Amino acid sequence: MIKFSNVSLIYPHSTKTIIEDLTFSIQEGEMVLVMGETGSGKSSLLRLINGLVPHHTGGILAGDISVDGISTREVKPGSLAHIVGIVGQNPLNGFVADIVEEELAFGMEALNFPHDVMRKRVEEVLDLLGLNAVRHRSIATLSGGEQQRVAIGAALVMHPKVLVLDEPTSALDPIAAEEVLSLLHRLVHDLSVTVVIAEHRLERVIQFVDRIIYIEGNGETAIGPAEEVLRTAQLVPPIIRLARALNLSEVGTSVREVRRLTDDIRAQTFETTEKIAVSSDVVIEVDELTISYGNHRALKGISTKIGAGEIVAVMGRNGAGKSSLLQAIVGSQLATKGSVWVHQKDPALLKGAERRRSIGYVPQEPSDLLYAQSVRAECAQADRDNEIAEGSTFAFLSRLVPHISEETHPNDLSEGQRLALVLSIVLSGNPELLVLDEPTRGLDYQAKNLFALALKEYASTFNRPVLLATHDVELVAELAHRVLFLAEGDIVADGSTLDVLLSSPAFAPQVAKVMSPKPWLTVSDVVQALEQQP
Amino acid sequence: MNRTPAAFSFRGLALPALVATSAISALGFVWPFLISTPQARPQWLFALAVPSALLLLFASVSNDKLDTKSIALLAVLAAVIAALRPMGTGAVGIEPMWFVLILAARVFGPSFGFLLGALSMVLSAFLTGGLGPWVAYQAFAAGWIGLGIGLIPRNVRGRSELALLALYGVVAAAFFGIAMDLQFWPWTLGVDTQLSYQAGAPISENVDRFISYHFLSAMAWDLPRAIFTASLIAITGKPILHTLRRAHTRAAFFTPIEFVKAQASEREKEERAAQ
Repeated sequence: MIKFSNVSLIYPHSTKTIIEDLTFSIQEGEMVLVMGETGSGKSSLLRLINGLVPHHTGGILAGDISVDGISTREVKPGSLAHIVGIVGQNPLNGFVADIVEEELAFGMEALNFPHDVMRKRVEEVLDLLGLNAVRHRSIATLSGGEQQRVAIGAALVMHPKVLVLDEPTSALDPIAAEEVLSLLHRLVHDLSVTVVIAEHRLERVIQFVDRIIYIEGNGETAIGPAEEVLRTAQLVPPIIRLARALNLSEVGTSVREVRRLTDDIRAQTFETTEKIAVSSDVVIEVDELTISYGNHRALKGISTKIGAGEIVAVMGRNGAGKSSLLQAIVGSQLATKGSVWVHQKDPALLKGAERRRSIGYVPQEPSDLLYAQSVRAECAQADRDNEIAEGSTFAFLSRLVPHISEETHPNDLSEGQRLALVLSIVLSGNPELLVLDEPTRGLDYQAKNLFALALKEYASTFNRPVLLATHDVELVAELAHRVLFLAEGDIVADGSTLDVLLSSPAFAPQVAKVMSPKPWLTVSDVVQALEQQP
Repeated sequence: MNRTPAAFSFRGLALPALVATSAISALGFVWPFLISTPQARPQWLFALAVPSALLLLFASVSNDKLDTKSIALLAVLAAVIAALRPMGTGAVGIEPMWFVLILAARVFGPSFGFLLGALSMVLSAFLTGGLGPWVAYQAFAAGWIGLGIGLIPRNVRGRSELALLALYGVVAAAFFGIAMDLQFWPWTLGVDTQLSYQAGAPISENVDRFISYHFLSAMAWDLPRAIFTASLIAITGKPILHTLRRAHTRAAFFTPIEFVKAQASEREKEERAAQ
């Protein structure tokens, strides 16, 4: 279906070869994962499939790519639109119409399909993707998982033979991600659609894919069945790291497989490890907090206390009220009822420098905080604002991400680099409290590790609280001391990370699922427990 | 070697179409100064001819290959301009749209500027609710303002660029004022004042009358418009030019596309290995 023969790609004004001498072919009805570090060329590879690269971006392409027998060098991307459907990273950016039905029909409208065909296909897709209940809704009111399904639907109505998806689950909570991936799985098996998918959150996808194309940083590319590639890859999900740490004879891609391989370990008995004492100095006090938007109550009278040095993860479905809670603590959202106190002060009343010193906030879209024309200008501004030595913000930034160029425009940075920049700017104010809203979207494992280290260091050296909203259970398992679980504006669970994550099957990290009922969340937990064993 | 499509430019058949339709509509503006014998209201003729010329021009452009990136850029900028225009209505000549048109034309070129000016005038007519023959006159006038940006040398940058653009803003504002007056003036025929158009009068007489008409009726509009446009360019020019230039780079206009044989890459590899 897709054939790459000796493909190399260089962008103009760049000396780095993005892809070098890549040869592979993908059969009809295969599901293939493209993985690699941020900026390794995953997106370029995906866009080569429908000819957007180089027809749209420019570039020098060597070798030949053919899709369903058509060579991409001979036709423009438009002529492949009915063969290759492409779904971008952020579905909202790709929507044209307001209403679900209209969005589904838009692509066919552009290709001038007859009306009766359009009608039939829209119905088909609505049924296939289970979107019938929301067909008349405005897209903006849908949940993240539903939006992603609409985006996939809009590509599917054209009856493409190939579906290309760029990080389809990175903005979704675990349940919505599962929904999207099992849908793709069904499309592959029932309709024999060929699916090519790029994703950072490997733990979510590897069990579904047939083969993996792994773009290594050094220009090498490995292609093969999932188990084979993952056995040697640098970039692996926790479940594989677990298999390696335990020296298992083979690596498994699903919880079921690895559970079967680890029966003997779970059969042993271990002493329970002591719990870390949590500080009793209360920094944030939320009291009967209610926030309403019109008739909609986002938070329904919740109360909690957060102490110094605690790292607290706020979890829950999209729309559960996570962002509202964080914004109330930051002071940018006024409480409808109840109150929030940060160091016995009302955060909404803080101004200017005092606010920067008290609360550091990294919003969901970190680039909202960036407005200068280069990394250097951003860092210099932060130095001036916070009256610290010139260059200290940049020094901190280069510790987080070593190879960052000062001249780059903030919008040209990768997701991970941009997050690091915002984090450095926020931390340069040395705030007494750090609040982050979904910080790890689009980060690979390496960037995530650096990020987790920086947060841990901040929390422990200064004994200050960190509050983060996230869907990333693996990060929470690694980082947080405590989890607040929100649903429908209420706190449904509030306790240590271990207790909360273990009690919810959907939100449990992979290692916990494999090792259940043992109380371990991460690979290092397991290794530690085994080492302590006499 | 191929290139990705450039931001729109008039080439091939579209170029003579631009010249011909511009000539027709230019006649539509200046005819009172060209004929001295009384005619049966030629303004009616031009009220039909100028809009037809505009339609013809749009048709020829859309037949020509306007690629997706240009269309997207054109649509977004035209929407911005069309939305900005009514924001100033009511105040005399305060139209916060010219600076965007001028800056965008500077970055994306005169041809694109023409299309942007013309299109956004038509679009904003829908928003302000006044669609009529005068829209075509406005569209051509705004288009010429976008086209005229080609007079400013390409390689000027920094402060002198902003100064030149602000100066151009003054000229453009004055030009638009004169053009609109010229378009409206013959319709005052019959209103017998010292300033109205006199069919059949000698040309010099009409030129005199127009000049007094323009300066009396329109200076109150032209002057604020010129000052407003020039100062907006001076104030916002730097960041807006920077943003638009970034968009230009990111859209990869003019970027070379090259397809080479796979063997070439093998040879490159060997060469690199040899080094």
